[in-house]
Amino acid sequence: MRSSFLWRNRVILTTGTLLILALHLLSSGVRPDARASKPALVLIELLRPFQTFVAGITGGSSGFLHDYFALVGVRRENAELRRRLAEFDSQQARMQELESENHRLADLLELREVLATKAVAVNVIGSDANALSRTIIVGQGSHGGLRRDMAVIANEGVVGRLMVVAPDAARVLLIDDHNSALDAIDQRSRARGIVAGVIDDGLTMKYVDRSEDLRPGDRIVTSGMDGIFPRGLLVGEVGRVSQEGPGLFLNVEVLPAVDFHKLEQLMVLTQKPPELQLEGQN
Amino acid sequence: MRLIGVFSIATLIALALQTTFTRLLPFDVLMPNLALVLAVNLGLRYYSAAAALMAFGIGYATDTFSGGQLGLNALLFILVFILTSGLSRSLLSSTAVIGVIAVFGAVIFIDLGNAVAAADWGRSESLGLAMPAILIQAAITALCAPAVFAVMAGAARSVGLRQRGLRE
Repeated sequence: MRSSFLWRNRVILTTGTLLILALHLLSSGVRPDARASKPALVLIELLRPFQTFVAGITGGSSGFLHDYFALVGVRRENAELRRRLAEFDSQQARMQELESENHRLADLLELREVLATKAVAVNVIGSDANALSRTIIVGQGSHGGLRRDMAVIANEGVVGRLMVVAPDAARVLLIDDHNSALDAIDQRSRARGIVAGVIDDGLTMKYVDRSEDLRPGDRIVTSGMDGIFPRGLLVGEVGRVSQEGPGLFLNVEVLPAVDFHKLEQLMVLTQKPPELQLEGQN
Repeated sequence: MRLIGVFSIATLIALALQTTFTRLLPFDVLMPNLALVLAVNLGLRYYSAAAALMAFGIGYATDTFSGGQLGLNALLFILVFILTSGLSRSLLSSTAVIGVIAVFGAVIFIDLGNAVAAADWGRSESLGLAMPAILIQAAITALCAPAVFAVMAGAARSVGLRQRGLRE
C-alpha cells in the first residue's frame, strides 16, 4: 500500500485538495455565519471565556497598569510607602473607571431613549486577529437577541454591523474595515455616497459626484437606505475633498466620529427604528 | 494526531493572545501574527499531510477572527505552507535564521494577500500607505519567531513528535 501512487504523493494530493477547498470557500463567497462555517462559531465560543476574562482584567484599567509599571524599580526604603500609594492609586483608578463606565452606560441609555428602539448594550471583549482587518468581538450573541446585520453604535456615532453571531459572542465588522460599506449623506449639501473603510485605516466617501458641494467639516450621517443603519446616525465629518485624477467622482476623506481603538461599551440595535430625527443634533 | 493536537492547542493560544492583547497596544501592527509563525513552523519542519491539514486549519481559524472573507486566510496559509516546505526542501535545512526570514516574508505575503483581496482599486495609493504597517508587523513577528519555534520544538519533544533535521 505504501508504494502506491496515492500514498507516495499524499502530501501533494492533500495540499492540492486543501487549496481547492480554500478557493471554493473564497470564490463561493461563504459568509462567516453560513452553515459551512459552523466550526467558526464553535471557535468563537471556545475563546470567549478567555477574551471575557482578559477584557475584565484589562478593560479600562490601563491607568492601573501604568501605575504598576511606574512603580517598578523604586528604592527599597520607599517600597512600603509606594506600595500603599499604588494601592490608593489603583483604587482611585478603579473608581474613576467605574465612574467613567457609569457615565458611558448612562449615555447609552439616554441614546437608546432618543432612538426609541430596542437595543442591547454589549461589551467589547476582543479584536481582530489581523492588524489590517477591522473587526471586534462583543460578549453577547444570539442568546442575547442579536442577529446578523444588526447595527452597532456608540455614543459618538456608527461603529459597524454584526457579521457573525455565535450563541454568546458576536463579531462586528467596523465601518473602517475595507470590506465595509454604508450608505451616507452629507448633512449640509445632502450629497449622497458610500462610506467605506480603506486599507490604511480610515474612511472614504465614494461615488460622490464631482458637481456636489462637499466641504471640510461637513457632517456625514447615515442615509437609512442600506437597510441596516437607521437614518441620521453620525458617521463622521468630511476631512479632505479633492478632484485629483480623471473620473466622475470626488475623492472625499471622512474623519470617523468614533475612535475605533477605544471601544468598550456599545449598543446593538435589535429593532429597526421607523426613522430618526438626529440630523440637527450638535 | 500528535501534531494536530499540539498545533491545535498552540493555535487557540495564539489566536486568544492576538484577539485580546491587540487592544492593549497603542497600534494594532505591534501585535505579532503568532498563528502565521505556527504555519511557517509547520512548513519548515513537518512535511506531511497532517501538517498541510493543520496549516489549512490555522488559516481557517484565523478567518474566524479576522476580516470578512471566509477562506482567504485558509488559502493564504496553505500557500505559505507550500512555499516554506519548498524552501526547506530546496535548502535541505531549516535553521532559526531561515525561519526568521521565512516568517518575515510570510507576514508580507499574507498582509499583501489580504490587502489585494480587498483592494480598493479606486484608491491605488492605499496599498502603498499600508506598506509601512505591513513591514513593521513583519519585523515584529519575525523577532518573535525564534521564541515560538523554541516553544513548539519543546512541545513537540515532550509528546515525542519527530521534526525534520534542524540546525538551530
